Amino acid sequence: MDFAWSDQQRELLNAVGRFASQQLNYDVIENDREGIFNHEAWKKCGDFGIQGLLVPTDYGGLGTTVAALERLGYACRDNGLLFSINAHMWTAIIPLVYNGSEAQKKKYLPGLCNGTLIGGNAMSEPNSGSDAFSLTTTAIKKGSRYILNGSKIFVTNGPIADLLVVFATVDKTRGTDGISAFLVEKNSPGMNVARKLEKMGLRTSPMAEVFFENCEVPEENLLGKEGGGAFLFTRSMTWERGCILASAVGSMQRLLETCIRYANERKQGGQSIGKYQLVASKIVDMKVRVESSRHMLYYYGWLSGHRKSVYLEAAMTKLHIADCWVKCSEDAIQIHGGYGYMTEYEVERELRDAIASKLYSGTSEIQRNIVASMLGL
Amino acid sequence: MKILVPFKSVPDPNDATFAGEAASASKSVINPFDEIAIEEALRIRERGEATEIVGVTIGAPSVDEQIRAALAMGVDRAIRIDDARALDPYAVARILRAVVEKEAPHVVIMGKQAVDDDSNQVGQILAGLLGWPQATFVSSIEFLDNKTRARCTRETDAGLEVVELDLPAIITTDLRLNEPRYVSLPGLIRARRKPIEVLTCDQVGVNVRPLTTVLAVARPPKRPAGTRVESVEELITKLKQEAKVI
Repeated sequence: MDFAWSDQQRELLNAVGRFASQQLNYDVIENDREGIFNHEAWKKCGDFGIQGLLVPTDYGGLGTTVAALERLGYACRDNGLLFSINAHMWTAIIPLVYNGSEAQKKKYLPGLCNGTLIGGNAMSEPNSGSDAFSLTTTAIKKGSRYILNGSKIFVTNGPIADLLVVFATVDKTRGTDGISAFLVEKNSPGMNVARKLEKMGLRTSPMAEVFFENCEVPEENLLGKEGGGAFLFTRSMTWERGCILASAVGSMQRLLETCIRYANERKQGGQSIGKYQLVASKIVDMKVRVESSRHMLYYYGWLSGHRKSVYLEAAMTKLHIADCWVKCSEDAIQIHGGYGYMTEYEVERELRDAIASKLYSGTSEIQRNIVASMLGL
Repeated sequence: MKILVPFKSVPDPNDATFAGEAASASKSVINPFDEIAIEEALRIRERGEATEIVGVTIGAPSVDEQIRAALAMGVDRAIRIDDARALDPYAVARILRAVVEKEAPHVVIMGKQAVDDDSNQVGQILAGLLGWPQATFVSSIEFLDNKTRARCTRETDAGLEVVELDLPAIITTDLRLNEPRYVSLPGLIRARRKPIEVLTCDQVGVNVRPLTTVLAVARPPKRPAGTRVESVEELITKLKQEAKVI
């Protein structure tokens, strides 16, 4: 496998970096404090082509896509915006690309790709998180409609989404085989986007609890087959696991560079703090984490691009990058000392944002379970 | 309507240093005023008033990167006149005249000047050579009478001047005409499939040599550090005796 970029790929990655660094980094501290989603930046990303990175796929394969997302994470400091984009891409666009009918694709994909529509999914419920398929939201067919009842929690983009992929069971007695996916548009009668959830980090990415009370969904909005929801969700999750932390690798690279700069500039005891081995050692650890994460990410991209099985690799990639991101963020604060704890230095936010990566798209414990099961344990 | 947009590759003004005879930078970009001209041409096409936008630039193969950037913005095709020499405005205008005669555009839109040499002459000389009307330092463009005329707002020292001119014409753009778009990822992909025609001066039938030569480029002298005075009296004394301005 060859991870060297062609001139064309480099041109594309540089364009992403230039766009993100110049267009997406305003009001980040204020938006984080107030929990404000940057709609304008979302639209700019759509116009530029970020949300459409998966459709069409002639950008040079998935390897280029994950590298583009990595570059986005490096150049854009609004991790919440990137999290919203990720949720949108992996949980709304991917299921549509794979399982959508031509009519569904035609209706929703252009808007989802150009930034005019915001998507997300509704899977987790108050009593089903890691054990996702034990969901209890029901979808009962009545004539040409499905009637949805139940409640969903931790719905990323919930308060702003135009379209949610909602998972519900058409028949509880069928277990996993009863789970189906539905395309539910905002303001559907009976859908209620309730309280916005306050979070520790990723505060610029809105999240909500969503209730369905006799919510009517036309049958043409069934996504994939009836009972095909679990398979659809698993595929979407494999994509998400493998790719969602691509931008985190970029974030880590940015943190690393910030720390190197600070360690060279900051003088204590008559020398740059980078000359102290305890500081240098932390930075070396950061570098090793960035590189190992990047290699796992690119390897995942290479495998996936060559249509090889990535179930195991996606879980390992997610597990490893999440661990590295949290540790790098913690080290970055420590290297910056008291300044690192101050909001204006934009280092503490990184830790708050990073911690969520051990929870979403399957907790780190679930990733370990997947790896363990693939090892025959 | 066909629009010809001449553009120049210049050292990135955000990253330029002066050394020896000319400004240099680690990377080159499309001259920002020309980028405004490209953007305006795209907007004219988007509102259905133009059908084709042709870009033209002069330079060595290294300027292909800026050509691709123009194509990625949305220019339909591009011509590069293969000439690596440092040309003066008269030489550039003569080459462009040959391109205009070959392409027969309805309007030429270009930057009012290039940010590397600030000559501000090419558009005007080109209009003179072609015998075409010109509107320079333009901040708005509107086409009239079934696209046979253009009404342009010019930014002058005295204020805004509105002029009407017959097409074909030369229009040079000022800063406030528009804000150029970002090259999009689909645009970059599409640009790879668009043609770049490479021609020599011989092939377009011109033989130019620069009439002026740049001898040196130097930074302005560094301003000395200021000093803080304790009182008005001291200030007046210094203004009289040191600065000798009062």
